[in-house]
Amino acid sequence: MTTLAVGASTADDSERIRRVRDAKSDAVSRAEGWRRRGPLLPALIFMIVVTQIPFAFTLYYSTQSWNLVRPGSRSFVGLQNYADVFRDSQFREVAVNTVILIVGTVLISVVLGLLLALLLDRVFLGRGIVRTLLITPFLVTPVAGALIWKTAMFDPVFGIVNFVLSPFGVGQIDWVSRYPLAAVMANLVWQWTPFMMLLILAGLQSMPRDILEAGRVDGAGAFALFRELTLPHLRRFIELGAVLGAIHLVNTFDAIYMMTQGGPGTASSNLPFYIYQRAFLGFDIGQAAAMGVVVVVATIVVATVALRLIFTSFTGKEEAA
Amino acid sequence: MSTTAPTAQQVPTPETVPVRTRKRKHRRANPWGVVAWIAALGFFFPVFWMVLTAFKQEADAYSDPPKFFFTPTLDQFRAVFDTGVGVSLLNSAFATGVSTILVLLLGVPAAFALSLRPVRKTKDALFFFISTKMLPIVAAIIPLYVIVANIGLLDNIWALIILYTAMNLPIAVWMMRSFFLEVPGELLEAASMDGANLWTSVREVILPLVSPGIAATALICVIFSWNEFFFAVNLTAVQAQTIPVFLVGFITGEGLYWARLSAAATMAALPVVLAGWLAQNKLVRGLSFGAIK
Amino acid sequence: MAEITYRNASCLYENSDTLAVDSLNLDIQDGEFVVLVGPSGSGKSTALRMLAGLEDIDEGSISIGGRDMVGVPSKDRDIAMVFQNYALYPNKTVAENMGFALKMRGVGADERRRKVEQAAKLLDLTDYLDRKPAKLSGGQRQRVAMGRAIVREPQVFCMDEPLSNLDAKLRVQTRTQIAALQRRLGTTTVYVTHDQVEAMTMGDRVAVLRGGKLQQFSSPTELYDRPANAFVAGFIGSPAMNLLDARIVDGGVQIGSTVVDVERDRIASLHRAGLETVTVGIRPEQLEITDGDGVETIVELVEELGSESYVYTRVARSDTPLVARSLTRTPARLADTIRLRKREGTVHLFHPATGERVGD
Repeated sequence: MTTLAVGASTADDSERIRRVRDAKSDAVSRAEGWRRRGPLLPALIFMIVVTQIPFAFTLYYSTQSWNLVRPGSRSFVGLQNYADVFRDSQFREVAVNTVILIVGTVLISVVLGLLLALLLDRVFLGRGIVRTLLITPFLVTPVAGALIWKTAMFDPVFGIVNFVLSPFGVGQIDWVSRYPLAAVMANLVWQWTPFMMLLILAGLQSMPRDILEAGRVDGAGAFALFRELTLPHLRRFIELGAVLGAIHLVNTFDAIYMMTQGGPGTASSNLPFYIYQRAFLGFDIGQAAAMGVVVVVATIVVATVALRLIFTSFTGKEEAA
Repeated sequence: MSTTAPTAQQVPTPETVPVRTRKRKHRRANPWGVVAWIAALGFFFPVFWMVLTAFKQEADAYSDPPKFFFTPTLDQFRAVFDTGVGVSLLNSAFATGVSTILVLLLGVPAAFALSLRPVRKTKDALFFFISTKMLPIVAAIIPLYVIVANIGLLDNIWALIILYTAMNLPIAVWMMRSFFLEVPGELLEAASMDGANLWTSVREVILPLVSPGIAATALICVIFSWNEFFFAVNLTAVQAQTIPVFLVGFITGEGLYWARLSAAATMAALPVVLAGWLAQNKLVRGLSFGAIK
Repeated sequence: MAEITYRNASCLYENSDTLAVDSLNLDIQDGEFVVLVGPSGSGKSTALRMLAGLEDIDEGSISIGGRDMVGVPSKDRDIAMVFQNYALYPNKTVAENMGFALKMRGVGADERRRKVEQAAKLLDLTDYLDRKPAKLSGGQRQRVAMGRAIVREPQVFCMDEPLSNLDAKLRVQTRTQIAALQRRLGTTTVYVTHDQVEAMTMGDRVAVLRGGKLQQFSSPTELYDRPANAFVAGFIGSPAMNLLDARIVDGGVQIGSTVVDVERDRIASLHRAGLETVTVGIRPEQLEITDGDGVETIVELVEELGSESYVYTRVARSDTPLVARSLTRTPARLADTIRLRKREGTVHLFHPATGERVGD
């Protein structure tokens, strides 16, 4: 016979639950905890050693006035280097370039990637080959890719871009000299669009089809379906692509080295390249280190703000279908 | 109650059904496919042009308007080989291979610990890994140079190997963790009911399921390592030169020999492009799994 | 008026030569609740989706309210559909889910809210209007799917196995609610299920499909009392009707060594059809355990349900299974030999080769 249990007093219940919970945590022994964490340690230790120690040194160097060209002049100058950095107008210009490069490349490649992903979502003849061709720019060594763009594409006389545009009355423009930042951005967009496309395509293909059917039955036309259902679903993937892309683009170096060497002047230089110049060509370790620290701090600030404000996917929230 | 279904006498038997032409379902040709093809050819064109130019004589490479038809030659490739590309290729292969193996050795257990046996502060460890990727590497290059020089590893391939491992480890852990998460918990439970201890379960149950994911991760590590330039150019000179560095050196030396440059660039890019093409599905899976989980 | 007519409607499977639905003919009246039932692969879902515009009508036609639907896209058909997995829009709240179709039609926000709240009250969803589907239980999601359909006040409801993801108790509860709702709203409804109990209890009329072809389309009682073929006979009713091969003899049919009486005019029509053997259908409740004359059988399994029992037996010296219902507790024990006799009432007769109903 089942007893119709009248609710026992809640105080007893919570007391019991607390007792069981205490018993439970005793059960998981200390050794078990280490055994669980163990496999993680080698990787963790390796990363800490290889990444944090150099950064600690960077912090140290940034407080030194140290130029390799003048040996023996090394001395502690506190935050003097930082002051110089902020007064450096070229640094500001280069910082702006960096932002332009990142934002521009991400925006354009996300839009292009979205369009391409939409195209690839439907079946058509040779779809596999098309995808193969489209991912190639991402695979090509960036240095080689930049080389192709600089020579075969943008060369004023022999470049393909001018050849294609000549029927429209475009003369022999030296793209790399006249529009250096745009030229670099073209190369970067070419390189990163496949990545965005693949991510967004994964998003499109992970969408449950019956929701789209429900939308159709509910009276939504193709555009309404895209706006109301597909795009919200894709948001997570676009965000992820944008974040990952931005992180990598902060470090853009190969393209600039190869295409413009930062020039003319610093018109197409970005932060990594500028710092590289300071350190390895100008031998000013202290200044370069300070710049490096500034870049790191700025990146952390921007990343935290961006992650907190805009991006929900990184906190691990998932929307159930 | 009346029915509209045929009664027993009226069921159409195969003989009584008039022969009707059954409409085969046509897959309506997708007009957007053409647009996709155009886009694909457009994106691929620079690579195509580069490879094409590699087979040209210098005179053919320099032509206005650009030449599509010419007699191909292997001279450029021979010339590149003569200038010692072999060493760079070997260096790249060595650095890529060893660092990828190290990444897997370190990363698989880490991903395992972070997914199947979650510990407290899993989120913290994960975030730490990701944060290392977020820091601009340029900030570390100076002390790295100094340290590497002091240890005597300048122009030594092992410096690159260590750095590439550190470069790829966070991505690898992140990706492999998502693959581990895919394994249904019930499989492990079933295995332990069947008498397997943890190690055996991992070996017999988990690894086979996760191996495509590990392959995908390895592929991505290979791509990033092979194509890496910044560390290579700053920390190597002649002996440990990797292929991207070789390419740059080739340019400064052979400035205007386009066909030869194209040949060198083709050789630099070819291995990874081929690997990516062949393992395309794995690559796509690897990239998208980071997204879906 | 929302009567629905399937006229020789057919649909091919993608990339295949097999017909998912083969020349379906149905006349559904306005306000009727019709259930499409059948095993997996019978084409019932495809037939429903053809109505909703989610599958092409490759041949024949389907008309709603006299209007031919060939070539008409889903959004113009004024049909609401409840999907098996609910297909709720994950990034929208319950209220937005339910109001979506109205929004697509350009209904203003105030009017939308009014209608949504009305439907929510009907389905007891008022407290959940601002939640997203991820935060709802299975039963709640099912109600939201229903609510989304009701709000539209369409001319037809299509429901594709809406109860299959619910636990058994909830299923029974929701079943009655859906039937009551439909009676109240009076909307023509086409409902797909593989569960014959749902079909029998919910439908005004039931269409049994198999392999894409319609087997029978009648009221539940008619399906039960006069199945049109052996398949329907075996599909409707649980446990299934006993179907046995028998020889036609004078005055009846012989099963094993027992002769079961059959009316003389039925035997005559069997002879007229040139048959020597026939498939006999006897429902478990038409058999009773007897001490007198009967078919000798050996008990293999006894199922006691509390209200009744089912005895699964095998005819002695043969492989033929025979299931009988008993209203007593512990009617028999395992391995017992018992005798089964047909109660008063007539048996079903089916053609031994085609399965069609004969001998009427």
